[in-house]
Amino acid sequence: MARRYDSSTTTFSPEGRLHQVEYAIEAINNAGTSVGILAKDGVVMASEKKVTSGLLAPARTSEKTYKLCPHATCTVAGLTADANILIDQARLRAGRYAYQYQEPIPIENLVEHVCNYKQAYTQYGGLRPFGVAFLFAGYDIHHGFQLYQSDPSGNYSGWKATVIGANNQAGKSLLKTEYGSSSSSGDEMKTDENPAKDETEMPTTVEALRLAVKVLNKTMDGAAASPDKLELFAMTLDEDGNCVHKILNAKEVEAVIAEVESETATAGDS
Amino acid sequence: KQYYHNRKMSILEYNGAAVIAMAGKDCVGIASDNRLGIQYQTVAMDFKKVFKMNDTLFVGLAGLATDVQTLDQLLRFRMNLYELREERTMTPQVFTNLLSNILYEKRFGPYFAEPVVAGLDEKGSPYLATMDLIGAIETTKDFVVSGTCDGNLYGMCETLYKPDLGKEELFETLAQALLASVDRDALSGWGGVVHIITKEGVMSRELKGRQD
Repeated sequence: MARRYDSSTTTFSPEGRLHQVEYAIEAINNAGTSVGILAKDGVVMASEKKVTSGLLAPARTSEKTYKLCPHATCTVAGLTADANILIDQARLRAGRYAYQYQEPIPIENLVEHVCNYKQAYTQYGGLRPFGVAFLFAGYDIHHGFQLYQSDPSGNYSGWKATVIGANNQAGKSLLKTEYGSSSSSGDEMKTDENPAKDETEMPTTVEALRLAVKVLNKTMDGAAASPDKLELFAMTLDEDGNCVHKILNAKEVEAVIAEVESETATAGDS
Repeated sequence: KQYYHNRKMSILEYNGAAVIAMAGKDCVGIASDNRLGIQYQTVAMDFKKVFKMNDTLFVGLAGLATDVQTLDQLLRFRMNLYELREERTMTPQVFTNLLSNILYEKRFGPYFAEPVVAGLDEKGSPYLATMDLIGAIETTKDFVVSGTCDGNLYGMCETLYKPDLGKEELFETLAQALLASVDRDALSGWGGVVHIITKEGVMSRELKGRQD
């Protein structure tokens, strides 16, 4: 029944849906998972690298994580070719804003620009939408560290933690229970002495990285986690207040994976 | 309103500037004066014309102040974009060609600025280049100059320059060449700044000169 209304992006269905947009979102649900978590002192993003063939030349650059400007990075889920166009758009926008105002672009401004670009392909031109979802991690002086998610419709929202790509529902349900309740500092008691609820519930980047790996362990469905399957990214501020974009190297990824494994092993005992 | 003078000032002389760069042994130095004027009226004594593009690349821009500022901003934009897309730092040669391209794009309505590029290439060897306001590149091994007293600067360089100077000697040579040149030029001076670039880092020093 949807057949008649699904081949053109510029046509609503009788139920008020844009089928092409929904199909684009479906395409992303087959892509490698990406999880983003907002922390007290930064933002972390962990992605599943889907290795499609052993014959592929080792990638010199990431297929999931891309720097957009000195204070923002994104991860991709979906059609890489589509993503490349949007990433370049984002980079140009951030650069032009900085050139015009001599100030770093506010993160929401950047996200909205990319999303407006995507939205145009759902309303004009008879072109198909972009089959990409993004997680944007960034910092600005107006709102501190932020995490945004965007999808092919051009819609975006800010998150404390979220998942895109394959098995994102499983990832999100894990985050609902684990985000904010995990505190590795065992002596932190839930009492009236902890006034600012949001502050104490936010993990540190170290804790967030571990939680992100836990989420990917769940979404990757039992496949053994290893540095060549996971890409871990953390954004923090250095002492001069500049953003540090760090893609963890193999050893550091191993260390986080090991910590998560020992955590889950002991969790069974208590 | 101008003070009384008979000489018609060209647009490249409107604000006044002096920029100089020299190569040493595994190092380069670049320096500029501090004056910003509106014809003969001095308006600022802290207007530097050398800009750091990255740890091993500086550009000096002499000419109309608005174009000096705009080119600095444009170059930073373009360099940033390059580094995001290519995921590597720009070499001085590529930078020079980029700058030349930007200038030539405005061939029939140019930026009134004549730049000087000083840096260390990937192997750590000194790189110097200069160009005119529409992007004609000249690379040299010894020194490059630009500004309202470029004749003076050329004379001082030819006299004082020696190849393979160490960073301290290079600093002295640059400082003396710059200060003596701007002293005979009404439109440049009010002190200066020198940057010596080596693989280990950048050494920057303020110059005390005649405040007139």
